[in-house]
Amino acid sequence: MAARILARCVRSLNPRLAVLSRSHVAALSSAPLGRSRSLCLRARGHSGHRPALTQIQYSSPLVSQLRQYGDLPPLTIDSIRDRVLYVLKLYDKINPEKLQVSSHFMKDLGLDSLDQVEIIMAMEDEFGFEIPDAEAEKLMTPEEIVQYIADKKDVYE
Amino acid sequence: MAASSSRAQVLSLYRRLLKESRSFPSYNYRTYALRRVRDAFRENRSVEDPKALEQLLNKARDSLAIIQRQVSIGKMYETQRTVVEPEPKNL
Repeated sequence: MAARILARCVRSLNPRLAVLSRSHVAALSSAPLGRSRSLCLRARGHSGHRPALTQIQYSSPLVSQLRQYGDLPPLTIDSIRDRVLYVLKLYDKINPEKLQVSSHFMKDLGLDSLDQVEIIMAMEDEFGFEIPDAEAEKLMTPEEIVQYIADKKDVYE
Repeated sequence: MAASSSRAQVLSLYRRLLKESRSFPSYNYRTYALRRVRDAFRENRSVEDPKALEQLLNKARDSLAIIQRQVSIGKMYETQRTVVEPEPKNL
């Protein structure tokens, strides 16, 4: 339904936009009606100076937002580091003021191996995948955890 | 902890006990099991005697079996969430 309205709306505005492929419109139709209406308004605003089709497809922030659908925003090294440090700050045995990216859990923060196991479990919860025992015991600093998660999730700088 | 192999065993058991305890549907059992596992491992952290260590490891394995059984039984008779629990995360 929304797809049909959207297609009609777009086609009536600008003959060049009619090239907008059917599949593209169908893909957008999974968005709620409110969003598709705002896309229509946006297209109307553009129709004055006839933007190229590519411009609509790639440069519009609205379209790129819709394209993620239910997926999470992509991970970056920085976002992984922020999330790791956030989880560590919430752990009650770590003093948030002492916490550095390079601080060693046992030497600098005074934790034991049991705490380290719990930290790794918290990371598994946060990032939603399992870390095997053999690799978990090597992760001793926030930096190493960030690096490990980035490797596993194929995130590169 | 005597040998490095028993150290790895202890850590792996600790992890499995915590993981299993986390899946208790009942808030009271869940928080009790987590607290009890943490306390028991901390309490015996300085045990060096191999015999005592072996006994404790066996006790932990038995407890793990008990927890696994009780979690499955608990899941058959799930009751309402208590008000102190947060909403379950939508994943």
